[in-house]
Amino acid sequence: MTLLSSGRRSRVLPHRRVWRPWLLLAPALATLAVLLIYPLGRVVYLSTQDYGLRELNLGLSNPVGLDNYRAIFEDPLLRTALVNTVVFAVACVFLTVVLGTLVALLLVRLGTKLRAVVTTAIMVAWAMPAVTGTYVWVFIFDTPSGIVMRGLDKIGMVDPDTTNWFVDRLSFYSIATLNVVHHGFPFVAVTVLAGLMTLPGETMESARIDGANAWQRFWNITFPMLRPVFAVVTILSTIWDFKVFTQVFLMPGGDGANRDVLNLGTWSYITGISQKEYGLGSAIAVLLTLLLLLITIVYLRSMFKEDELR
Amino acid sequence: MSVESPAGLVRDDSPPSATDQRVGSRRPRKGAMNHTLGARTTTGKVLTIVALIALLAFTLLPVFMMISTAFDARSEDGSRSLIPTELTLDHFRFVLDEGGFLTYMRNSLIVGVGTVLISGALALLAAVAVSRFAFRLRTSVLVMVLVVQMVPLEALVIPMFIQARHLGLLNQLFGLTLVYVAFSLPFAIWMLRGFVAAIPIDIEEAAYVDGASWGRMFWSVLLPLVGPGLVATSIFAFITAWNEFIFATTFMNDDSKKTAAAGLRDFFGRFGDNDWGAVMAGSTLITVPVMIFFILVQRRISEGLVSGAVKG
Repeated sequence: MTLLSSGRRSRVLPHRRVWRPWLLLAPALATLAVLLIYPLGRVVYLSTQDYGLRELNLGLSNPVGLDNYRAIFEDPLLRTALVNTVVFAVACVFLTVVLGTLVALLLVRLGTKLRAVVTTAIMVAWAMPAVTGTYVWVFIFDTPSGIVMRGLDKIGMVDPDTTNWFVDRLSFYSIATLNVVHHGFPFVAVTVLAGLMTLPGETMESARIDGANAWQRFWNITFPMLRPVFAVVTILSTIWDFKVFTQVFLMPGGDGANRDVLNLGTWSYITGISQKEYGLGSAIAVLLTLLLLLITIVYLRSMFKEDELR
Repeated sequence: MSVESPAGLVRDDSPPSATDQRVGSRRPRKGAMNHTLGARTTTGKVLTIVALIALLAFTLLPVFMMISTAFDARSEDGSRSLIPTELTLDHFRFVLDEGGFLTYMRNSLIVGVGTVLISGALALLAAVAVSRFAFRLRTSVLVMVLVVQMVPLEALVIPMFIQARHLGLLNQLFGLTLVYVAFSLPFAIWMLRGFVAAIPIDIEEAAYVDGASWGRMFWSVLLPLVGPGLVATSIFAFITAWNEFIFATTFMNDDSKKTAAAGLRDFFGRFGDNDWGAVMAGSTLITVPVMIFFILVQRRISEGLVSGAVKG
């Protein structure tokens, strides 16, 4: 700031105007380049190496071309991890956006004071760290002491001696979904609510007079008018949900003990950091990044078409 | 005096987006209240109340479970009821004394504050650049900031671990802070951009008319007005740092250098899986400060951004 504020009162105003935004951007862009872009390049480089502890300690390189990728594509785990990643993310995004929108539609009907109270309560779910949130959900579904298990046992629906929800893939990911949606819906709710508040009440009222029911009003008026808002919350939720790591890793068996529940993120981490096969782990990480890049590009294109990102 | 011509500035009147969303802050327009009409019938009211109760139950259940178990003297007992019958502070005492949570939380605080200060300063400058200046590649920079957010942390943890090992930054709070600055920066820029854009350009122009240079205008006009936005962004940066788990658990092996999120897992493993009372006490210690912080500041932000600044 001092660099820009006083002192250099050059007469070449147009020139300064051209450089000022770049001067302001420089520290942030440099940080991102060194700490995000460079490691991203490194992970691609590492993925073509047979890089283990020996190479790490001696600083050697050991290029193997595309062998790591070949190994991944021949591994039956790839299918499991891919399905776990994609299906889980799609379910989470869908449920998060739907629940968030419903909550926003509920909040907008409330009086100002009540709305403030409920919004604060929702914030509590948002503020809950992933680590502690995961432990609480594990605790809730724990065998045999979790409240859900004990409740269902009491009415005779499950047998705690033979049931463990963390072993089966579907129930494991159902619990993870609950955790992620619980943590993610407040952002959607608050954002959509902010959008709803900007809608002209007159349009809504005349639609009501014309006999449009709530469902029609939402799809014909609210949704088209708030399209950009929905685009943004969907993109951000997708980006966040595809790289869910902590919530899966910290569940029982999620750290690699149970191979059925690996997703691309945990698979990469376990291979790279836990088993110290840095090259192979990097190749899985590259795969995950490419998947996310693909999704982001698809979204960005649809956004640009709508001229919504300016 | 350097007076910016309006042509050098960008009016950003993009539609409301996540970036414009500020926690709890909204400016209801005339007529917006008409939405309340939805609850005019009795059935509508009952449905609203039922939905509200269901929402609150779902939202608050985990927090309730966490806190009640942390204080429950019979947390290990299988027959324990939902609401604790006997309260105790033993779990907290155990976690703080033997679990080493005081150290963990101090480390988290240091890393969090460091992240807020550095990323706040960098993000503010960058946000002003992208929302107040028209320059070539502006859209490209914005898209890059968005795309960079999508990079999964798991993809970076391997190369960054190797790099940090070479540079001797493992088990250093500063090394972890640097990593978190990088992670919180894109979202901070993206969010602050909305706040800066919401400040009417007329105010800036008024400062120029009064003879202020760009730097003076930035320091005396833009900075105070963007204050609430900076606070909101800081919360996100702080929470990112406070909650982050992957890098904390990978970089910090030394017990005296662990942050709370990484320490809790360690703790979970060390004392066996069934000591839920202690695990929940640790979780409460991590969660409650963040929640209080979040709720307190949410109010301050909702006091309104620049409402009235341009009037009169």
